[in-house]
Amino acid sequence: MLATPVVKDLNYDKVYEPAEDSFLLLDCFEEQSLYLKSRFSSNVPVVVEIGSGSGIVTTFLHQHILPESVYIATDVNPHACETVLKTAKDNSATNYLVDSCQMDLTTAVRKQEVDVLVFNPPYVPAEEVPKVPETSEDSTWLDLALLGGPDGMIITWKVLHSLDTILSPKGAAYILFCARNKPDEVAEKMRALGWDCEVVIHRKAGWEVLSVIRFTRAEAK
Amino acid sequence: MKFLTTNFVTCAVKGCLSSLEAFPLKYEDCQLVQEETEYKPEFISHMLERLEWNAIVQVAKDLGNDSLPATKPEGLDPIMEDSQAVLKDLHTLLMETQIVEGKMSCRNCGHVYHIKNSIPNFLLPPHLC
Repeated sequence: MLATPVVKDLNYDKVYEPAEDSFLLLDCFEEQSLYLKSRFSSNVPVVVEIGSGSGIVTTFLHQHILPESVYIATDVNPHACETVLKTAKDNSATNYLVDSCQMDLTTAVRKQEVDVLVFNPPYVPAEEVPKVPETSEDSTWLDLALLGGPDGMIITWKVLHSLDTILSPKGAAYILFCARNKPDEVAEKMRALGWDCEVVIHRKAGWEVLSVIRFTRAEAK
Repeated sequence: MKFLTTNFVTCAVKGCLSSLEAFPLKYEDCQLVQEETEYKPEFISHMLERLEWNAIVQVAKDLGNDSLPATKPEGLDPIMEDSQAVLKDLHTLLMETQIVEGKMSCRNCGHVYHIKNSIPNFLLPPHLC
């Protein structure tokens, strides 16, 4: 089993604390290691994580799975953006390639450049998606990491509908779902749009059932 | 923000997504810091294959460096001595040069983004989202 990155001195009131969903992604990538290494053996991949929070998943990918890649972590939360750089440095003082951008999803990343997209979305069903606070001192930044509107799918669908613009031709997106997001229905809709969808890991975590779906462009048959 | 990252980011305004003018962004009033990172020559030569060289040259000019060749160095072999110097220079430029503070603006729509504490902020005001 690969070591979990060190995440220390987090301000849990402002930045999402690594939890079952984060750890599921780490286990997912441990299992996907060979798949990713062979899929991107001939070029240097660009890895983008949306909503990177503490940076634990990006740091893990960089340390253990795809060490020679370009990493861009995005988050709307300024405290998360700072924490990502700190987590990357705390885990490797001289060899960290992670850059952190304050950004909504991947809106400022060049189109069709992303080889590996990682997204642990705000998947908790709620009446609406919270507004982005106006000041960095606002106490509601953390809500953005959790609440995903009806079915907890508002933000996730924004990404899924842009997937063709985001991913490189061989790109793969890893997106986390809870059962209340109805991942089977999501996969069915995405298949109809020309995507291969595979549940790569699945786990009961406390009262939630979490899964990660890998999306790639359907191979021409 | 590493120099390398300037090759992968563009204007966040939706109308600029397909504009050739929007990439690379124009870098101004930038404060640079060199931060040492492990040198992996093969990684640099491998990575070079997927970089937009014209954008590298343009951003380097914005930051006051006119020394890059107009065309992308080809066939760099980490074993060859003359390649080694080029790769080391590219490592210093792409991986070790950090833009700590500065401004980035879009050549298409003119929107200005700011970099603070090495973190570029691409969030848009509500009327541009």
